[in-house]
Amino acid sequence: MSKGFVVLLALVVLPLWGCASSTPSAAPAVSSPARPAFPSARRVAIVATGESHFAVVENSAEPGRTFDEVLKWNQYGPMLRPLAVLVHQGINWLVGLDRAAGTTPDVGAVSPSLIVTNALARALHASGRFEEIRALAREPLGAERRGVDAIARVTVPQWGIVRVRAGDPDLLSAFADVRAQLTVPETGVIVWETSQDVTAPDRLPLASFKDRRFTGGQLLDLLERAGQRLASELLYARSDGQ
Amino acid sequence: MTRVPGASRRALGVVAVVLIAGGCASTSGLDIGYPAASANRAMLGSVAPLRIGISPVVDRRLDAVRIGSAAKGGADIVTSRPVPEIVHDALATEIGKNGHAVVTTDADAILAAEVDEFWLDIVPGYPEIQYVGKVAIALAVVNAHTGERLLARRYFGIRRQQAGPDAPDAAREVMDTALARTIHDLATDRELVAALAGLGGGASAPKSARQ
Repeated sequence: MSKGFVVLLALVVLPLWGCASSTPSAAPAVSSPARPAFPSARRVAIVATGESHFAVVENSAEPGRTFDEVLKWNQYGPMLRPLAVLVHQGINWLVGLDRAAGTTPDVGAVSPSLIVTNALARALHASGRFEEIRALAREPLGAERRGVDAIARVTVPQWGIVRVRAGDPDLLSAFADVRAQLTVPETGVIVWETSQDVTAPDRLPLASFKDRRFTGGQLLDLLERAGQRLASELLYARSDGQ
Repeated sequence: MTRVPGASRRALGVVAVVLIAGGCASTSGLDIGYPAASANRAMLGSVAPLRIGISPVVDRRLDAVRIGSAAKGGADIVTSRPVPEIVHDALATEIGKNGHAVVTTDADAILAAEVDEFWLDIVPGYPEIQYVGKVAIALAVVNAHTGERLLARRYFGIRRQQAGPDAPDAAREVMDTALARTIHDLATDRELVAALAGLGGGASAPKSARQ
């Protein structure tokens, strides 16, 4: 391999270095066990927080696999492999960006975390296990803050469309990676937290998602589902059916 | 010294047995399940204790031979136990953990479950592989005394995870989590709680669930 090629690879990679860190990965399915303070939380405020990033995640094996094949025959192959990984991630990030531009739904100024927060609040209220559930777009202040036993903070770091089945055509689903953390406002102690990768049950070709209204509907349904999923795990963590 | 060749032969024999057994183990399928240790006494535990029967789980999957295909070579991925048995045991674990007796006779309620989907998709990526596991079941609750069907519900759980090609447990963990999410949705379903509460534990069900 010529020095020129290495320099070219570096030139391609370095501007995308920051992009590589945004390579999506499903949120780990973490759900911490309930702690003693948790069952007594009867009045809960749920707050939507954080930024949400829309993405079309293909998880493609190419061009990385081809890089590996090429590097296998090169004496500097093992040394260059990390570079190949970055180039692969950079190229796929650009492809994903292009696809995201073609599929981003028209959901206006709606915040994914707010939709999940509202769905979570409705599900918890319907469970009949709480005295009061309040969904908020900002942190509660003053008397409002003192009036709750716990504050649940909901974030949706990433949402969009992900390839879930390889084939011809590939099949994709709406997805959202969501996190929730329940804290006691007086002490700031975290009594429960979870990260959930939520995926829509429908699997469709990419062409179906070119219809932005349809995509918008799929994503809104998925965010509702994400709120119900969080509620399910939160209720499950409350031991003894309280 | 004269015994050394014999010992070597025995050692070789042991190695051969181990290798053969290892080969068998690798093709015996995924040991998917819902361990009792991970189950909670949750909303179903708010219903006064019942005697609950679980009918043999019906397998409605389109492809009941396997639960997926390997990314390389397309070999069938199978489970070490029949899928209906896995789902039956998961239901029994959850019911038992919530203070109800799982019985075969004199039941108050019968749970009739069908497996609609139990599938693992492996999407080859670089350098990691994406695993997507999905479990979908249909559940009916029947009053064992009258035969009346009280409730029919569908539950599903999906787990999506990226893992390196050398992560041997990724496929099993993904399916374990998909199954656990399905059971957690079931265990926190207020309509299911209300249906069971109506069989004797009605007072303990939340008011909103009974409306």
